[in-house]
Parts: sequence; structure tokens; C-alpha cells
Amino acid sequence: MSDVLDHSGLPEEELLAAEYALGVLAGTERAAAEHRIARDPGFARQVAEWEQRLAPWAAEIPGVVPPPQVWDRIAGALPPPTPDRGLWQSLAFWRGLSLATGLLTAACVAALIYLGTLTQPQPLVATIEGDGHRHFVATIDAKRGMVAVVPAAFSADATRVPELWLIPADGKPRPVGLLRADRTVTLTLTAELAALAKGEAILAVSLEPPGGSTTGLPTGPVIATGKLTSL
Amino acid sequence: MDLDANRSLIAAALGRIPAGDRTALQTVYRLTSAKLFGVCLRILGERGEAEDVLQEVYVTVWRKAADFDASRASPMTWLIAIARNRSIDRLRASRQSRNMAPIEQASEIADIAATADHALEGLQEHARLHGCLGSLATHERAALRGAFFDGNTYEELAARMAVPLGTMKSWIRRAMIKLKACLEQ
Repeated sequence: MSDVLDHSGLPEEELLAAEYALGVLAGTERAAAEHRIARDPGFARQVAEWEQRLAPWAAEIPGVVPPPQVWDRIAGALPPPTPDRGLWQSLAFWRGLSLATGLLTAACVAALIYLGTLTQPQPLVATIEGDGHRHFVATIDAKRGMVAVVPAAFSADATRVPELWLIPADGKPRPVGLLRADRTVTLTLTAELAALAKGEAILAVSLEPPGGSTTGLPTGPVIATGKLTSL
Repeated sequence: MDLDANRSLIAAALGRIPAGDRTALQTVYRLTSAKLFGVCLRILGERGEAEDVLQEVYVTVWRKAADFDASRASPMTWLIAIARNRSIDRLRASRQSRNMAPIEQASEIADIAATADHALEGLQEHARLHGCLGSLATHERAALRGAFFDGNTYEELAARMAVPLGTMKSWIRRAMIKLKACLEQ
């Protein structure tokens, strides 16, 4: 043969792309070409162009319907379906945000129903938050002297109990009563407290020994606060 | 099926895969699996292996669909390249190609594509390629066929056609240069 290795006509790089696309390379040469495809867009484009040139030849290969179990195996090899994953994420989302959003609504509705204030003007609400979490939602009916407090994302403490405080404009906390992590608590406000429970007053929750603070002031950490606002 | 409609259906389905749309992959599979299984089967020569590789092909399509650029490539070209490469990878992992029978150079002239599947590939592209392949020397065309359809390496082609390795490389490279020049006319 007169035509031994022929380096004329096309650059070496393009000949390599052609050889890869045709499939004649093996071993390290093939691995090196794949490595280059992944890192050299110009080379990858040349390979793609050669694939485009050769692909019409595949028209001569008759189609053969694969057995149905092949699709089942493909489906099984894929990551979990998107809708399921979306649902899971959604559940996690709701769990993560906890009861916060859902219970806020529930809190208002429950409190309004319980207090029978649907016909009463201007109940006050406070979302009592701390450390990025909404711990409780409180609804006050000052006229009837009642406050309903719904736990949201509050986690019970094994040794301490949550206590609610009203902090009016004078900045001095007044004890309102003990709260529960697991259910809504309805507390009665004294006439003095009811008079102080106006917009801009603060509700706060501290962690106290069982039975609550005996000093009349918070003794444990104040973990959450919220401003009373008109509904 | 109408070629353009089919092509755009496949391209559109490929475009939905990166968002995690499994039904889009199933659409691609429904439209293309017979062709790609044929390609795998032709190269691998054994149904069980071809089924394994076909599974790998569609899992690869699932992972790499974002790489497909409909403005630059035909979806079938892209898919056939994946099917051929995965099949060739499987061949290389085993000792050698299944088809190692001696290639009779004289018999290769008769490979006119009476059975060509133009529904997927396009009559024009195939006719053009076929015309250009016909302009090659018989031994060049035979060598290219062995590589494309049987997945042979340079070494295997040299053995099948009983020529030195250097000669085979020269044949293939010269054939590719001529083929490109012809297709660009």
C-alpha cells in the first residue's frame, strides 16, 4: 500500500474525533478521547459533527422491539418520581414550618369561636415568636377578660413549663398564667390586666419551674415575645 | 410516521427530561427504543447484553438530556451515538467484538439500503451518505462498515481484513477525509 499513515487533509485533532465517532479506538486511546470530550468543547463539537455525518448509516439497521421488562428496569433505575418527591418535600415543608401557619389560622378560628367574639369588636392577637420560630399564638378578648393561647412550634421542656406574661407600656411584666405545649389554654385576665391588654402591649413566654414563677417576675429565660395587634 | 413531526416530538420530550419528567423519558423510549435496541443488538450480537446496554442507554439519556441541544443536533443522531458508544464500551469491556468473521471485500458493494428505516433517519441524509460511501474504495467502505456496524477496533479490522494495523489506520483515516469532503460538497 502506498498510503501508509496519512496526515494530510484533516488536522490530527479532527481525525481523532472521527476515529472516536466511528468507534475504532480502544483502551487508553478511547479513554483519552472521552476525557477530552468532557473537557474540550471544540473537540466535543467535532465528535458531534462526525456523529451527525455517520448517524444516517444507522437507517440500515432494522429496528427490534425490546421486551417490555426493559422499560420496567429503566424506570426502576431512575431516581424517585418527581411528583412523589414533591409531595415529600411538601410534607417536610409543612412539618418544618410546623403548626405555625396552619395553627395560626386554627388559633384565630378556635379562639374566636371559643370566646364568642365573632360579634365583638377588635379582639387582639399576638404571634409569640423567638429564635426564628413561632411558638404560640394568643388571642385576647379584653372586654370579656379572656385570653386563648395555642401552641405552634413550641417544644415541651422536660423540666420547665412555659409561662405567659403581659408587658404593657410601663415595661413591667405581669404574670398571666401557665401554657401547655400540647394544647390550647384559655386563661382569665384580671380587670387590671384586661385594662392593660391594649395594642402595642407585649406578650412574652418564659420557661419556669413547674407551677410557674413564684416571684411575680420571669425567673427563667424569655424564649419568645409578640406584640398585641388588632385582628 | 412523518419525519419532522417525529423528530420534534422526540426533541420536545428530551427537553422535558431535565425537569425530572419521567413520562417524557417514556415518550422518548416509546418512539426510539426499537431503533436503539436494533443498534445495540447489531453491535453486541446477543439479546441479553443488548437489553442491559439499552437500559444503560436510557438511564444515560435521563442523566444527560440537558446536554442535548436541539438547535445543533438531530435527536436521533444524539441517541444513536449514545447507543453505539454504550454498546462499544460493553464490547471493549469484554475481550473482543462478537463479529470477527473475515470481511470479504468484494461482497461489500451490495450493501444498498433496501431496508433502510427512513422514518427516523431521513431519506435525504441517508441517500447522501450512501452516495458518498459509494465513492470510496471498496476496502475503505468495508473497513468503515466493520467499525460502524460491528463495533470493531483498528486491530480487529486489521485482523478481519488481513492487513497490517498501520495499513488499516491509513485506510480508515483516508476514508474519513474523503467522506467529509464528499458530504460537504
